[in-house]
Amino acid sequence: MAQTTESKATRRDFLKLAAGATGVAAGPWVSRHAQAKPVQITFARESSYVKNFDVHFQNVMAPAYEKATGIKIEYQIQAAGGSAVPQLVAMVENKNGADLAWVQQEWLYRDALVDVSDIAEEVGKQQGGWYDEIKRLSVDKGKWKSVPNGNIGQLMNYRRDWFDEVGVKTFPETWDEFLEAGIKLKAKGHPFGMSMGHGFADNYSWLYPLLWSYGVTVMDKDGKKVALDSSETAKAVEYVKRLYKEACIEDCIGWLDPHNNKAFLTSQISCTNNAYSIMVSAKRDLPEMGKVIEHGLNPKGPTGQRYHALVPVTHGVFAYSKDPQAAKDFLRWMMDPKQYRPWIASGDMYFAPYLHAFDKAPEWDIEPRVKPFQKVLETGKLTSWPAPANRQHGEVINRWIVIDMFTKAITGTPTKTAIAEAVAQIKTIYG
Amino acid sequence: MSKILEAPGAGALAAPAHRHVRFGRLGAFVERQSVYSWLMITPPVLFLLTFLGYPFIYGVYLSFFQKEVARNASFVGFGNFVKLYNDPIFWQAVRNTIIFTGAATIFKACGGLAMALVMNQSFKLKSFARAMLLLPFIVPTVLSTVAWQWILDPGMGLFNRLLVVSGLATTGPSWLGTPTMAMISVIMVNTWRGLPFFGISILAGLQTIPADLHESATIDGAGTWGRFWYVTLPSLMPVILIVTVFSIVITFFDFQLVYVLTGGGPANSTHLMATYAYSLSMGAGQMGLGSAVALSMVPVLGLLLVALTLFVRKD
Repeated sequence: MAQTTESKATRRDFLKLAAGATGVAAGPWVSRHAQAKPVQITFARESSYVKNFDVHFQNVMAPAYEKATGIKIEYQIQAAGGSAVPQLVAMVENKNGADLAWVQQEWLYRDALVDVSDIAEEVGKQQGGWYDEIKRLSVDKGKWKSVPNGNIGQLMNYRRDWFDEVGVKTFPETWDEFLEAGIKLKAKGHPFGMSMGHGFADNYSWLYPLLWSYGVTVMDKDGKKVALDSSETAKAVEYVKRLYKEACIEDCIGWLDPHNNKAFLTSQISCTNNAYSIMVSAKRDLPEMGKVIEHGLNPKGPTGQRYHALVPVTHGVFAYSKDPQAAKDFLRWMMDPKQYRPWIASGDMYFAPYLHAFDKAPEWDIEPRVKPFQKVLETGKLTSWPAPANRQHGEVINRWIVIDMFTKAITGTPTKTAIAEAVAQIKTIYG
Repeated sequence: MSKILEAPGAGALAAPAHRHVRFGRLGAFVERQSVYSWLMITPPVLFLLTFLGYPFIYGVYLSFFQKEVARNASFVGFGNFVKLYNDPIFWQAVRNTIIFTGAATIFKACGGLAMALVMNQSFKLKSFARAMLLLPFIVPTVLSTVAWQWILDPGMGLFNRLLVVSGLATTGPSWLGTPTMAMISVIMVNTWRGLPFFGISILAGLQTIPADLHESATIDGAGTWGRFWYVTLPSLMPVILIVTVFSIVITFFDFQLVYVLTGGGPANSTHLMATYAYSLSMGAGQMGLGSAVALSMVPVLGLLLVALTLFVRKD
């Protein structure tokens, strides 16, 4: 929480003083309306899988900001794996906690975030403009409620050596080819492991794109009408039933997000949908395996289109903060290319910027196997797509209604019934 | 009277005596049963009201409101409960909770009784064995559940390895991959965790049974089974009943185990009322609806507490 001390000097005066003392020029992030000198700003973020990203922030950025402004940055790292959202909800409800944060599932508490349009528009203008899709999350009623920081790309992680063994030299282009490859690999004792349990990313990241590639969306564009009830949905469900039965490891319908990483790293599966964290772990702990992991794009569906699901990281400032302006100043400073580019590079592009200035950034060439994740931004959609990313959409996600439609069908519920049940539940939620 | 007693020091002696009289009155007041009992009970009552009463009352309040995160609450009466009545996932969670609680409690009661009977025998390293049996109870649930994730792993988990190595199966079952096996797995893990509570409590009960009763039964011709059935079990019933009621309450509200192990999946097959309340409140941001699910658990708890109170009074 921003702590302030009473002072007759304005923050601008203070920053000028600090800049003079430290030789660091006060940048354009300095507010014109600052009235008090903040002592500390608390910034909450879920821990990064690429540790260097957090280390860079703590060892380089936070001290630099303190040196430039005298404001201490308290970096509150939240444990990964689903605990961040309840913490953010508790902060918002109690009006107490971090001043700004990685606002996961921001549709839940947009009303508690301050307008950051000035920062987002300035950053967009300065860095080649924003990708359109992310605006549908961060912009609410014409105002930016968060500033996008990056996308955690989700792609097919696969074992090139095992794919080669069965004669699949390039990653399948279509879902049918994907199934064909899976059947061959399962016969060789290397099944696929496609997560379908109550996780928070690795299930949506392929099931939603698969649905979209069959020409199906959950809701229509306005979010008024349920669009899931279609014959194409039935085809997609039937496909997943086959894929599960003929190509996947049995366990995967109950998997949470860590399970597929574990199964891949213990050589139980040959392919799964995940961020590139599996490769990071393998390169560190299992170098031989690290050499044969590749990343493939989600296959194309009957419509000829391929899609990816975005897993956005956005930063927002809480209105309850004692000094929201100080938190905004810090956010503006963070997104300045001088700070932002090295920070993103420190994370090996794990968080891919939604800014076109990075389209041809040399950072993408550091590890060729990371480069496909750039494509996720081009074909990536929010899970609400094409409907607005609102509370109702969040409820559908958090009750795993679409995911369970597939798993119910797999575990014996007739496809039509599984779809009908999902549609009925979505209708109840959207009212 | 000696000069010593008339000296200034005498006054000094008299003063404490006077204070003692005043303190004595206060002491007598405090020692009155009605006052003393209230003095003793007030701190825990205040503690309970603050840390249990307030959240509970707030939860009851929320369950009658449509309350979304970061928005004002609006009164909906029984609207949330009507929504739940029409919600198939809620009813599935209710069914799952009953199956989970019932099965786990039966296994824990039977297993705990067996454990206590064994631990009541004399054998080498008895104290060490008793200490080891408490381990599941001592290890934090989240930690032990993560260990269970590894144990239940289909390919390299302990269970399936044992099955394959012993030749009992070519490949082990998918412990968390089918609805039935996932439920069996969470019941098994809960049983493992709760067994020591039963075992130690029943063991304590066993040690209070007078040896005379067993001797008399033996003289009357009772065998091992007869002594167990007619002496041991009836003597243990009060302990078993109380421990069972406590266990039902704890198991009914179990959350961590399922949340970490399955997240309520696959296809909601292990979703309990507690995990569903959590996903509605904290995940979907529907705090009123989530509170209504949580409140729906209270009548069952209430009935159990009434049963417990009646039993204790009767005893």
